Amino acid sequence: MADIQLEDPQFIEQLRQGDRAAFGKLVKGHHNMLLATARTLLSPADAEEAVQDAWIAAHRAIAKFEGRSLLRTWLTRIVINQAKMMIRKRGREVQFDPTNDPDALAHRFHGDGHWQHPPQHWELSSPDNLLTREELRHCMEKHLHFMPDSQRLVLELRDMQGLPAEDVCNMLEISASNVRVLLHRARARLFEMVDHFQETGEC
Amino acid sequence: MLKCQHLVEKADALVDGSPISLRERLALRLHLMMCHHCRRYVRQLRALLGFLPRDKQPLEEAAIEDILKKLDTPQDQP
Repeated sequence: MADIQLEDPQFIEQLRQGDRAAFGKLVKGHHNMLLATARTLLSPADAEEAVQDAWIAAHRAIAKFEGRSLLRTWLTRIVINQAKMMIRKRGREVQFDPTNDPDALAHRFHGDGHWQHPPQHWELSSPDNLLTREELRHCMEKHLHFMPDSQRLVLELRDMQGLPAEDVCNMLEISASNVRVLLHRARARLFEMVDHFQETGEC
Repeated sequence: MLKCQHLVEKADALVDGSPISLRERLALRLHLMMCHHCRRYVRQLRALLGFLPRDKQPLEEAAIEDILKKLDTPQDQP
């Protein structure tokens, strides 16, 4: 897998020595992942700019990379910092407080904590359902768009890129329990959405 | 016994391998053995995560060249 080669100590040493071809390999392997991260917080055009600036910053700092984290964690952190800077320039801020958005599944329980509306049975796996899967994917994108920025970002980092929870805490400078809650809220929103889709066929 | 709502709040650790105490894991397993709604929830949560777009394509050569070129040119000061 390409990812493992990109974390290889020998490869990292080449980067630290300023090897241009190695840096090209790094860009090739990580650019679209970093772009996806930036897009969770920024418009597509701003995201492009943030990642471009992040490459410049990374190129300048790579000689000092000490390998105390994964290289891709280090890069992601640079992108997030660029994105935060850009958001501040636009006069906005990312809210990492998970309590300002309710749990999308909370209404499905009785006061005593038992299911009031248990989940539907989902028919996602049957191969003849390609059209439905396509519709579902669109619907998911729409819901991702309307999700609070902080939830979308944590979902991207944890579930789509598979970064360790500890790395996500560190790069966002939030507690482990806040990362857990944000991730749970994001998943709950999507679960609720797919369940609704299964029941009604509508997004 | 563990409530369903509590299970749903804690089930994330079961599907993504986050650290969880043995005691808590056993409580979740025990609940799942007895509750088919929650079993369905956990199964479908797994399916949901599998459905998320994951693999990011590598960048094409021309675009890489563009980025590398910008590394060499001195940046405008903000």
